[in-house]
Amino acid sequence: MNYKKIFNQLGIILLIEAVLMIIPFVMSICYRENIRVVIAFAISMAAVSIVGALFKLNKPERESFYAKDGYFLVALTWVLMSGFGALPFCLSGAIPNYIDAFFETVSGFTTTGSTILTEIEHLPKSILFWRAFTHFIGGMGILVFVIAIIPKTEGSVMHVMRAESPGPVVGKLVSKLTASARILYAMYCAMTFALVILLRVGGMPWFDSVTNAFATAGTGGFCALNNSIEGYGSAYIEIVITVFMLLFGINFNVYYLLTRGRIKEALKDEEVHWYLGIIAVAVTIITVDLTLTKHHFLDSLRTAFFQVASIISTTGFSSTDFEKWSTLSKATLFLLMFIGSCAGSTGGGLKVSRITVLVKSGLRSVKKAFNPRSIETVKLQGKPVDEAVVQSITAYLAIYMVVMAASVFVISIDTWKGNTLLETIGSVVTCMNNVGPAFGNIGPTGNFSEFSVLSKIVLSFDMLAGRLELIPMFMLFTKYIIPKKERSISNMK
Amino acid sequence: MYIIIVGQGKLGSTLTAQLAKEGHDIVAIDIKSSVITNIVDTYDVMGICGNGATVEILEEAGAKKAKLLIAATASDELNILCCTFAKNLGTVHTIARVRNPDYSKQRDFLMKKIGINTIVNPEFETANEIARIIRFPSAASVDSFSSGRLEIAKIVIPEGNPLHNMPVFEVRKKFKQKVLICAVQRQNSVTIPSGDFVLQQKDSISITGSRNEITAFMRAIGIYKKKIRNVMIVGGGRIGLYLAKLLSETDRNIKLIDSDEERCHQLTSALSDVTVICGDGTDQNLLDELNLANQDALVALTGIDEENIIVSLYAYSKYLNKVITKVDRHSYSILTDLGLETVISPQLIASSIVTRDVRALQNSADKSEIHALYKLVGGNVEAIEFSVPYDASYENIPFKQLEILPDLLIVAIIRNGKIIFPDGDTAMVGGDRVIVVTAGRILDDLHDIFA
Repeated sequence: MNYKKIFNQLGIILLIEAVLMIIPFVMSICYRENIRVVIAFAISMAAVSIVGALFKLNKPERESFYAKDGYFLVALTWVLMSGFGALPFCLSGAIPNYIDAFFETVSGFTTTGSTILTEIEHLPKSILFWRAFTHFIGGMGILVFVIAIIPKTEGSVMHVMRAESPGPVVGKLVSKLTASARILYAMYCAMTFALVILLRVGGMPWFDSVTNAFATAGTGGFCALNNSIEGYGSAYIEIVITVFMLLFGINFNVYYLLTRGRIKEALKDEEVHWYLGIIAVAVTIITVDLTLTKHHFLDSLRTAFFQVASIISTTGFSSTDFEKWSTLSKATLFLLMFIGSCAGSTGGGLKVSRITVLVKSGLRSVKKAFNPRSIETVKLQGKPVDEAVVQSITAYLAIYMVVMAASVFVISIDTWKGNTLLETIGSVVTCMNNVGPAFGNIGPTGNFSEFSVLSKIVLSFDMLAGRLELIPMFMLFTKYIIPKKERSISNMK
Repeated sequence: MYIIIVGQGKLGSTLTAQLAKEGHDIVAIDIKSSVITNIVDTYDVMGICGNGATVEILEEAGAKKAKLLIAATASDELNILCCTFAKNLGTVHTIARVRNPDYSKQRDFLMKKIGINTIVNPEFETANEIARIIRFPSAASVDSFSSGRLEIAKIVIPEGNPLHNMPVFEVRKKFKQKVLICAVQRQNSVTIPSGDFVLQQKDSISITGSRNEITAFMRAIGIYKKKIRNVMIVGGGRIGLYLAKLLSETDRNIKLIDSDEERCHQLTSALSDVTVICGDGTDQNLLDELNLANQDALVALTGIDEENIIVSLYAYSKYLNKVITKVDRHSYSILTDLGLETVISPQLIASSIVTRDVRALQNSADKSEIHALYKLVGGNVEAIEFSVPYDASYENIPFKQLEILPDLLIVAIIRNGKIIFPDGDTAMVGGDRVIVVTAGRILDDLHDIFA
């Protein structure tokens, strides 16, 4: 592996993180916050820029950059970004324990939105801003941002884009990668800006409009209020956020086609059809269920819509305590967590396209059992899906299940803290799918503060693995996974 | 510039690599998804998997707004169809690779009636280039400008040559010939030498001048080789056929070897005055039997690079005057280390032609037209012939008053059929042909040479 080049790039990324920290730093001065907060940001910026500058000193001897280098760079970037991003929380005393702060930051960057904080509202504004800002940065991806600002790219940068962007197949919008990344960020920023304005119009204060817009855009779910969006008590705000959560869960390619006037192609996207279909079914089930249990129909519809959008887009906001819902409605939400949003969006989960392909290839196997000589190709949007892609999706599901099972097992060691089985499984599912809340103690009103240190580390790993779609995180452990013989062969390249 | 390249075989991928490096917006199309995946991973281009000769795929690739489409699939018919579709969809300029000799007679029809702008036949161009080298055996390769008035010849300085350890400014003084050294390749680095650059043996240098002056210079430094009369060609593929035809028109003894009997029959019926031999041209015994040692030149043109290299090395060991090796995988840099002097790659030759079109398509006001573009020394250095437009801003201003970029050299000006080697007091005049050599810069226009 070309470590020198990887660390050189890593240095640049950390320096960018230092620059991004300037915003909350300036805010902490403007809001005349406790001097400790100001100093916390200053020290964090200094630390991250020093380490970044040191990394940047690595002058790459060769320019070769292969897929494995891309994965490795992406994984290291996310771990280190979170490691340094946790410093302001820790040093300012907002989250005194470093592991807690790390968990919170990982949750931010991966746009999960699981929190260990019990009391949010009293925190300094700059800290709350940084918390929401991590969602915004992590949503589209920090490396995509780097690609967007660097002037010249080689083809090998595609490996980085592929490692960071969600979905089974990653394409480009236009022929130049830099231009593609710029278009993505332009659309992302424009949509976020529109949301800020719409929230402000609805009477939300500026600060809350911005932080909530960030949390929605990245499909994160951190809110500046203790009881999330419910705390604003406004139907208008709920509806606006519902719509935007759904929008940010759609593949950004669709928006690109729309802006290009290729509306027919955009409306033909099969993944979006499934996504909207699943939402419609889930909303219907929950609305009926809620209406039957003595709620007003329109209220039920609105709440059901909000909660379904929040979970399937993997945002994790809540407009009600769904912990109090019936098992049927809760089970519906639980299943939505696995499905997640569309590929190429800012959301998490398995991705609708993967589920679609899995279901189709599953059906094909059933048909094949019935008629062993039949030959059939899995199709998406009328086009045959490459058999290698089908296989990689199946393999993805297998690794996903194994990681999930192993995590559940480790978290279950926490039993002495009184966690039920549902909470144990729920915590892993919500973290791996980057949703945020789960059920029981960690439901919409709860938090993750009661988990042990070990569990928090495992859950942090799960969040990163879920956001980066598993493979990059495992690159950090290639030493232990790939036999030495094979590694030396691939290093010879 | 927005460019679509259909077919990512040897030629297509070479063009994709080169044009992507020059910073164009490229859409690469191929029917095989594995090929596209590889291309997208290696170069900053967009890939589309599908049949490039269908309107759907071309529309998806943006043929409506594309400035250039290059069709380089394996099939001539597909390439022609593809260009026709693209032209009708609105692509400004189309280039098709058409290789079948049957279609070479339809060239004019395809260009004038069907509207394909450029038809490239890499095999024919390669044969042409080889024929030019055989006509001028002292040089490793020759490129000509302004219909042969000026030539750039590449030579490798042999061991113990008087040029060894000689600074460039002394060369002209000592040998009293009006030639100019415009590029020097030493191992893998290429420089455009200044006056105090010291030459060394084994350097390959590109020299410019008229044919007579270059020949006289070669005589003076003692590397002149006598005219080639006997040529042995190993491999009777398309290039072999074209080459044998070109050479047989000029009173030479040609032996053409191919291992396929059926092909040999085709060759004999297509050629006259050529000895066609059916046998394995890579077999040492056969080469000896055919009296390789008494030949003047050997051209290795089989479809397998390794075989061409081995046959060439064997021919070098027999001290042939000229050995020409065709290599498709030209990216390997070890070829010159092996001692192969003249290496020819059809992809590089075709890409020179395409590059000329690409440069000429770049728009600018008072555009200076590109008449010729050659890639010297492994594609790193380009020699370009521009015509000076009338009323250009730099007209009639002596070079010493103009700020000219480094890494390039104004080699010569051809005015009224005469070669002028410019100095600080020379100025360009409308109607001149100017030959510029550049290492690493992309020149579309004469404006690009000024700081």
